Amino acid sequence: MISLLEKLTQAFGVSGNEEQVRDLICNEIKDYVDSYHVDALGNLIAVKKGSGRKIMLAAHMDEIGVMATHIDDKGFIRFTNIGGISPHIFVGQKVRFANGTCGAIFYEEKDADMKNLKFSKMYIDIGASSRAEAEKKVKTGDTACFLSNLTVQGEFAYSKAMDDRCGCAVLVELIRNLSQTSNELYFVFTVQEEVGLRGARTAAFQIVPDIAIAVDITRTGDTPEAELMEVQCGKGPAVKIKDSNIIAHPEVKRLLADCAGKNNIPFQYEVLERGGTDAGAIHITAGGIPSGALSIPCRYIHSPVECISLRDLENAVKILREAVKQA
Amino acid sequence: MEIKEALKELGCINAITGFEKCASEKIRQLFESRGIPAKVDPFFNVVGRLKGRGEPRRKILVTAHYDEIGLLVKSIDERGFIYFTNVGGIDSRILPAQEVIVHGRKDIPGVIGAKPPHLMEADEADKALRMKDLTIDTGLDAEEVKKYVSVGDPISIKSEMISLSGGKFSSKALDNRAGVATLLQLAAELKGYDHCCDIYLCATVQEETGAAGAVNLAYNVEPDLSVVVDVCHGDMPGVEKEVAFPLGKGPAIGVGPILNPEMTELMISVAKEENIPYQVDVEPRTTGTEAWVTQVSKMGIPTVLVSIPLRYMHTPIETLDAGDVKAAAKLLARFFTAVDRCWNCPEKPLELGRLEVK
Repeated sequence: MISLLEKLTQAFGVSGNEEQVRDLICNEIKDYVDSYHVDALGNLIAVKKGSGRKIMLAAHMDEIGVMATHIDDKGFIRFTNIGGISPHIFVGQKVRFANGTCGAIFYEEKDADMKNLKFSKMYIDIGASSRAEAEKKVKTGDTACFLSNLTVQGEFAYSKAMDDRCGCAVLVELIRNLSQTSNELYFVFTVQEEVGLRGARTAAFQIVPDIAIAVDITRTGDTPEAELMEVQCGKGPAVKIKDSNIIAHPEVKRLLADCAGKNNIPFQYEVLERGGTDAGAIHITAGGIPSGALSIPCRYIHSPVECISLRDLENAVKILREAVKQA
Repeated sequence: MEIKEALKELGCINAITGFEKCASEKIRQLFESRGIPAKVDPFFNVVGRLKGRGEPRRKILVTAHYDEIGLLVKSIDERGFIYFTNVGGIDSRILPAQEVIVHGRKDIPGVIGAKPPHLMEADEADKALRMKDLTIDTGLDAEEVKKYVSVGDPISIKSEMISLSGGKFSSKALDNRAGVATLLQLAAELKGYDHCCDIYLCATVQEETGAAGAVNLAYNVEPDLSVVVDVCHGDMPGVEKEVAFPLGKGPAIGVGPILNPEMTELMISVAKEENIPYQVDVEPRTTGTEAWVTQVSKMGIPTVLVSIPLRYMHTPIETLDAGDVKAAAKLLARFFTAVDRCWNCPEKPLELGRLEVK
């Protein structure tokens, strides 16, 4: 699981540029599924055939990042955000473009207003001394992700892009360790979740499953002076009750909670006051698809040090193994 | 009398957005009792259908959401106090000192605590409380609470219908049980009329968090005309006249860019001809109702909006005039007759609102 998580988190896949992640996942699963294809938007849809109910499991491949908007005469790159991120998180960070070019992010020192720091007052330094030199490596519109290795200490793992490569890792592990079921399973690795749940919407329309389960991360309330939330890192995967986009369907909630409870797998309930996941788009597609989500508790979301518990990941795989059978 | 009874029955139903399952069967039975054959769909929309005699038949979809705003358990502290968040828009200033019901493994009564004035700091009394600082007291200790209640359980505010003078009634959840009551009365108004088209009378779910019920239903029914019945703001002190409508002056007919002009015009002309009181509700943007989503379902559906004026929206004492519900039902019944006639006029085949793509 750790080496898989390392490969997945370190791959480049800012929203709209998920190719590297997709190729990686393709390689990991192709020997274990009956068929797979890439759809028009870039979603990877892998199928385990069956004669029972159609179950869709979705994890998004894309990660938050930045996009170059302008390159100045001295070769400094101005940028904007892709996905919801605070400018402060980027100060002093290294980022990497798809072609491997790395850069350091800093802010205009003169008249710096740190309280109201804006992306427009920040830049990426890639070590170029002119616009021409910079443009050999980076063009306007290119995206970059955080540069941040996977660190594992005890049961906790820290990296960029845990959101939602840890969900991808859960689905890959699930695919490789499925038990016998007559249900038809659709494993969907979606694109562009961070910019509005876009890939999941079109994938669900093609599949029209009987039920759908998104596997994504959720906030926790277990860090110093955190906003009140019951979910804790390491206390089990969280069965979603609600987020900004969906109130989970009772059938899906019960399925996930029962599969965990009956097998003595720890789980928690998730009431997420701000934020959403692919299930929010899926449940109002094609006349309605009963949907819910199994969430991996994650600290420091949308930062280079997103932190999850490996035990939670393993337990998520166990719950889903049962759920795809019982659904 | 009928309407008052319907409002009373509907007002005491608890159906917090996303947790309508428990109420769906009760609503279905109410539909059946008023002669509307009805089913519950997988999302707990209650789908009633008055079958027409034509073949093939056009379809009118009338929706009124039956979900209501409410609260959700967020956390239980070590003394058993319950912290909560909102489902749908709630002003936290109305919450202190309310009676609530926590819908856990069993229903548990509770109160939302309020700090006594004696214990307040000097500037504290002037400040509005935030939801994250409010808690529910059930009288049970943490261990007992956790036996019955888990994170994510819904909570409703307790309220019984009050009959005010002048035909006005006050209750929780009249947004939008007023609309559901309109559907029930509409079925009575349509009795004996031999319509060609199918008329779907549907009580929908999850309007308060983005109209998910109507999204799914409009896709599945694929109607030729969508009619949304919801509430609009009633007039009250401190609210501008342009955004609020007097009670008892008839339902408000929505006019705006997302609403179908031909159908809206026809409805207004029907109201005039039949001497049914109505008001005009100018809706320059989304309307804040299911009309926003039904309009763009599949290839697009001509949509109209009728609203019952309602004071104190999203509080436990939402107030309306039953006469407006009655007028809305009559207006819709007469309007449907006119639409049905237009759709089936052999001399003048009027393709009202429907764009045929060849």
